[in-house]
Amino acid sequence: MPPRLNLWSACRALSIRTRPAVAASRPQSAALAAPVSLARRSFSDNASTQLPPNNSNLPPPPPPSSSSSAAPPPSTPNPGESSAVEVPTSPENEMALNQLRMIEYGLSPLDPAVEGHKYGLPELPLPSQKNSKYRYDGVVEQLTKLIMKDGKLAKAQRDMAMVLNYLRTSPPPRLDPSKPLLPGAPPAHHLPLDPVLYLSLAVDSVAPLVKLRPFKGLAGGGKSLEVPIPLRARQRRRIAFNWILDVVERKKSRGSGRTQFAHRLAEEIVAVVEGKSTVWDRRLEQHKRGTANRANLLHHQVKGQI
Amino acid sequence: MSAPNCLRCLVRPSAAFRLSAPPSTSTLTPATPLTAATQIAAFSTTRATAARAQSPQTPQATVKGHVRKGKRLTLKGKKTKTIDHGKSPLPGERKAYRKRIILSNDNAIPVPWLTDLTAPGLADPANVGKVLALPPMTQDQLRASEAFKPTQCWGMFRQPAVLVRKETVDLTNRMQEAAAARKVLRMVLTGNKITGKSLMLLQAMTHAFLNEWVVIHLPEAQDLTTAVTEYAPLSDTNPVQYSQPVYALKLLHAIRQANADVLAKTLTVSEHSELPQSLPAGSPLLAIANQAKEVDSAWLIFQALWNELMAPAPYRPPILLSLDGLAHIMRVSDYRSPSFDPIHSFDLALVRLFTDALGGAIKFPAGGAVLGATSRNNNPRSASMELALAQREAEQQQGVEVPQKDPFFRGYDERIEAVLKSVQVLRVGGVDRREARALLEYWAASGMLRTVVDEKVVAEKWTLAGGGVPYQRH
Repeated sequence: MPPRLNLWSACRALSIRTRPAVAASRPQSAALAAPVSLARRSFSDNASTQLPPNNSNLPPPPPPSSSSSAAPPPSTPNPGESSAVEVPTSPENEMALNQLRMIEYGLSPLDPAVEGHKYGLPELPLPSQKNSKYRYDGVVEQLTKLIMKDGKLAKAQRDMAMVLNYLRTSPPPRLDPSKPLLPGAPPAHHLPLDPVLYLSLAVDSVAPLVKLRPFKGLAGGGKSLEVPIPLRARQRRRIAFNWILDVVERKKSRGSGRTQFAHRLAEEIVAVVEGKSTVWDRRLEQHKRGTANRANLLHHQVKGQI
Repeated sequence: MSAPNCLRCLVRPSAAFRLSAPPSTSTLTPATPLTAATQIAAFSTTRATAARAQSPQTPQATVKGHVRKGKRLTLKGKKTKTIDHGKSPLPGERKAYRKRIILSNDNAIPVPWLTDLTAPGLADPANVGKVLALPPMTQDQLRASEAFKPTQCWGMFRQPAVLVRKETVDLTNRMQEAAAARKVLRMVLTGNKITGKSLMLLQAMTHAFLNEWVVIHLPEAQDLTTAVTEYAPLSDTNPVQYSQPVYALKLLHAIRQANADVLAKTLTVSEHSELPQSLPAGSPLLAIANQAKEVDSAWLIFQALWNELMAPAPYRPPILLSLDGLAHIMRVSDYRSPSFDPIHSFDLALVRLFTDALGGAIKFPAGGAVLGATSRNNNPRSASMELALAQREAEQQQGVEVPQKDPFFRGYDERIEAVLKSVQVLRVGGVDRREARALLEYWAASGMLRTVVDEKVVAEKWTLAGGGVPYQRH
């Protein structure tokens, strides 16, 4: 990609005497660079350009020292040019002057990816999800929408924020080895400081692997044949979180006010991680049924449909 | 008419039979023990008595007297859902859970560079854009005077800390100047939603506590005027004023707990024989506050304490009188007089005391400050207050047109205008980027923000937070 920034556009703001050799090496740029008097224009001023008096016959200034706090080069007083040319008015101006001097000596101090951009250039091509609609973690966003009732997303988001705050402030969970979390889970005392991970770990750990899909009338006598079907990650999370919400609905609140639902939900998530929740039994039962019915996958009428 | 015999078991359901039935037939007949209740039930015709007579274990007899075994048919719609949730919370527990203040989070990482506030800390311009911790002593004082609110996120961090803002330094410097000149700073804090008006009040109180002022804080103005606390007319007042003794007792407890040290150092100038235990001159003010134990004498004690604080004496501490939710007292209250006329908030004695001080009618002997903060949640409309604040704010700025009254609107209140005629207004806005950076760095150091804080992140968060309105509420 060609650099977007023309190096010589920076020169327009400052008056500098270019060395004839450099000017000769870039004749097309030298024509564009129209240096103006520093006395008339500040560093960031964008006013109309004004051609300075001709000073091409002046000797070039000495090379700048390596430190940024180098003294401005002495200049010979010239009646056609104001004496304030070499006095930088601010650190930015001084830095810019030093850069220009380096350009003058054939060096390239300007990085086109940094200079002229406040926060640098974005990486191209832009990712498709790099916009304000994808603001939250994917799991959090999905679960927030499962909390939502009557289309009130803002309320669901507030509830989710309260759940995450509860997880932040609750003591680290005491894990139950008989209800193992996902392999590779961080130690328990890391969880409260990363509530999003805490929540996703809880939901993913109790998420079922299969669902049972009934095939009507295949079991004989009008009964349906249940066939285990594998689930995608998003489906698994949805089922697990709905199980959690079922339990939360039946729970009793201890306080009053608008934090109640969120606190009950958060308590249930802690219970899941600690292995105390009944959601684990539900998952186990579903897996048992899936295992028991796995032979149904070989049914001749099912085979073609999956 | 019912059949004389049971159709299945050939047993005649009569009382005589039931009394003389052998034990072997007990499976066919109701196995009721021979008690007085049974005997009454056998001869009773009323449903209630009959129902009472039956023990819950026995199968229920049908209308015909037949004993039906097995499951009864229950229709779908008539099922009663009784979910046993266990013990329900006792009265008051739910509210306590809702209102509890948590000031510490053990999960949060302690911030190593966090330093405690010192007495001049909040008035030092060098501290602008720094996060400083509240010392434990001040935490207790602030908690006693209910400066912390459950909607603020104190419970996220290891230790309560505040960001020193430009407005904070401005406010505390004005407080100091007023106290040095023995004058009263009369100021109203206003601003948009969640910009930190209550927090600014908390910082002013912190400054006052650290500099040994006496702080009298009315945490929620609505508690005074929404008719939730008892009131009683005061004798020898014309027009009649009303005291609120229960609230006064609570306030006295808060004052005593928060200002014990200063009150112990301050001595009375006159004798108090009207109090429950009479006090000679020269006894500490804490002794007056300590007498507040009964509701009946609360207002009397509060007045004695206030008069002592106002009395000219060699040593008197500066006073900070503050109130949150100003709009609630700038209206007609929900109380009614004996003739069922609405009572203006300014006729409540405690509110009157605050408004007199805010209006400039009371001079504190050692100077001090009267601060009122408006609220944007639960905010009753008070046209006069809104207009007066807008006018004062416009007068403070140069070249801004001062808004005038709407000539076609009748809802203005002259008493409110008189109070707010000469107050100063401090508008609290969002934090600037430098302050936002300090906050984000503090959050990151506490483990609450999991990202590197650089200029780009600060700009992003600051913009997404609506230009630096940082505090999250729930």
